[in-house]
Amino acid sequence: MKDRSKEDEVADIKIDNINKFYGDVQVIEDVSLEIKSQSFTVLVGPSGCGKSTMLRMIAGLEDINSGTISIDGTVVNDLPPKERNIAMVFQSYALYPHMTVFDNMAFGLKLEKRSKEEIDERVQEAAKILQIEEYLSRKPKQLSGGQRQRVAIGRAITRKPQVFLFDEPLSNLDAALRVQMRVELAKLHDRLNATMIYVTHDQTEAMTMADDIVVLNNGVISQKGSPLELYNDPDNLFVGGFIGSPKMNFISSKILSASNSNTELDLLGSSKINVPKSLSSATEGDSVMLGIRPEHLTVNEDSDGSWESKVFVVEKLGSGTFLYLEKEGEPLVVQTEGDSNIKVGDTVKVGFSSSRCHIFNSSGQAFK
Amino acid sequence: MLSKNKTGWLLLSPTILILVLAGLVPFFYVLYVGFFQWNPLAVDPSLQFDGFASNYRRLIFDEIFLESIWRSIKFSVVTLSIELTLGFLLALSLLSSFPLKSFFRSVHTLPLVIAPIVVGSIFKLFTVQGLGPLPHILKDYFGYTLNYGLNAEQAFWMIVIMDVWHWTPFVTLTLLAGLSALPQDPYESAKIDGANNFQIFTYITIPMMVPVLIVVIFIRLMDSLKIVDEVWMLTGGGPGYATRFTGIHIWKEVFEKRYYGLGSAMSILYLYITIVICWVLYSVMVARGKNED
Repeated sequence: MKDRSKEDEVADIKIDNINKFYGDVQVIEDVSLEIKSQSFTVLVGPSGCGKSTMLRMIAGLEDINSGTISIDGTVVNDLPPKERNIAMVFQSYALYPHMTVFDNMAFGLKLEKRSKEEIDERVQEAAKILQIEEYLSRKPKQLSGGQRQRVAIGRAITRKPQVFLFDEPLSNLDAALRVQMRVELAKLHDRLNATMIYVTHDQTEAMTMADDIVVLNNGVISQKGSPLELYNDPDNLFVGGFIGSPKMNFISSKILSASNSNTELDLLGSSKINVPKSLSSATEGDSVMLGIRPEHLTVNEDSDGSWESKVFVVEKLGSGTFLYLEKEGEPLVVQTEGDSNIKVGDTVKVGFSSSRCHIFNSSGQAFK
Repeated sequence: MLSKNKTGWLLLSPTILILVLAGLVPFFYVLYVGFFQWNPLAVDPSLQFDGFASNYRRLIFDEIFLESIWRSIKFSVVTLSIELTLGFLLALSLLSSFPLKSFFRSVHTLPLVIAPIVVGSIFKLFTVQGLGPLPHILKDYFGYTLNYGLNAEQAFWMIVIMDVWHWTPFVTLTLLAGLSALPQDPYESAKIDGANNFQIFTYITIPMMVPVLIVVIFIRLMDSLKIVDEVWMLTGGGPGYATRFTGIHIWKEVFEKRYYGLGSAMSILYLYITIVICWVLYSVMVARGKNED
């Protein structure tokens, strides 16, 4: 993550109570958001959560039903895309199929009536950054997916916009290339120091690249924060389950006793655990969800609470091993060392560390 | 049991038979007749040989025939230009939504289902001097005399108008299908790149439509070079030679003058010229297409 302490804290993009309807369906509901200048903000959420619509509204490709969007202090609601000083990279690359790579990257500059020398210089500069200099005379269909996406990014760079918008740019690439491009985009952000807004459904991309993550669900913001804030301190059940891979384990439980600072829970009927988190509205006997990440569970070690079960699947990844344990019809996933010798059928004692546990009430709100 | 291959040939055989009987046999027969003088109604109705390729030698100096070819080419270029321009504009307007759009689209497509000979009759009924309402209206309200029975320019342009009326819907529909199938993403990135509607049309739409335009140009070019029936109904090739396109000229030579051999040679030569025109066009377009790749 970048150190933003030295940078100005001006809100470069301000989204104020925006709503968006498609017919009777509301896809964005009263969303307000401030995106800081030069930050890398990732909008993340499952399919249909409204993240791409948000981005397209910022770009000017979708109308806004109510609310305002300002870029650098100017309300842009009624400005066409070209007057917003933005560039956008699409999932499908959206290159002009009949133009060479050079012409694709130069198109925006030609429309701005820049001089030939300037166009040439800027395209060459972008091509150098993205290592696509040797493809400049090729047509998009002669390039691989990764190369095409570089061209699309290059097209955005040449125009030197205030804001870069990325709409799932890596989703069409294979896994290895995605990892590589992820690193390159992060490097690019450092180099260009521009405001970047990035939409993805992939929480790994969000975690690895973002300064700030905005988790969207059903058209509303579930939580906004730095990657580690979201990971360590999710506001609700949705964010808890969405951020982290493999996802957080959820165990139905009941409150045995609740105080101002602690909540004691029943742990799968076999033991109790006293979690140092509370919620003012919680009372004894309430049904809650206990959440704990696979990497925070221990195996056959002393802990604050424990539970025994049989292992029914073992996944060995080398760097770690995932054990799947039977728990009320759903598996409980435990991450342990890569050289673990636990086999299918073994019974293990799973240990819960109370400081790592999260509690969510019946409406999904987290205990803090 | 028949092998897969044999079953295939068996199923294809009626089509192949019809193609051979209706296409290849007459073609080779015309090619053969083209090397002879022949009038089946003459005293001696047999094929007369008067030197190798005598008909073709005659044709090279036949001004009326050569002029008819130039006339046909000029007609094709003029109608194709108008139909492409109008068709593109109509297709673009049909992409957007407006009240009564589907009604307009259906009405606009109607001329396509009318036989050429009927189109000729309809135009004649409307436009012929003395009988049709159009010359009266033009004379009474605009003081313009429309009489393509006498005015050669008017006759040529009347045929052009008729062809445009008949075939623009075909161009519109084909281009509309092409436009509807274009990917939408480049349009969005062009908007973000700062292109206005006219720039989007010239830099994005037209180049992406080239493959569809090639198909439309080919079909319409070959069709318009072959025009006969509408012209036959409307002007019969007149006045003078004003609308005597090659098809009409061949008809007159064969069926009015009974020059069966010469007419056959004209048909073969005209077919050859048509193929050459199409081949040149095709080569240019393929070269351009390769350049696009």
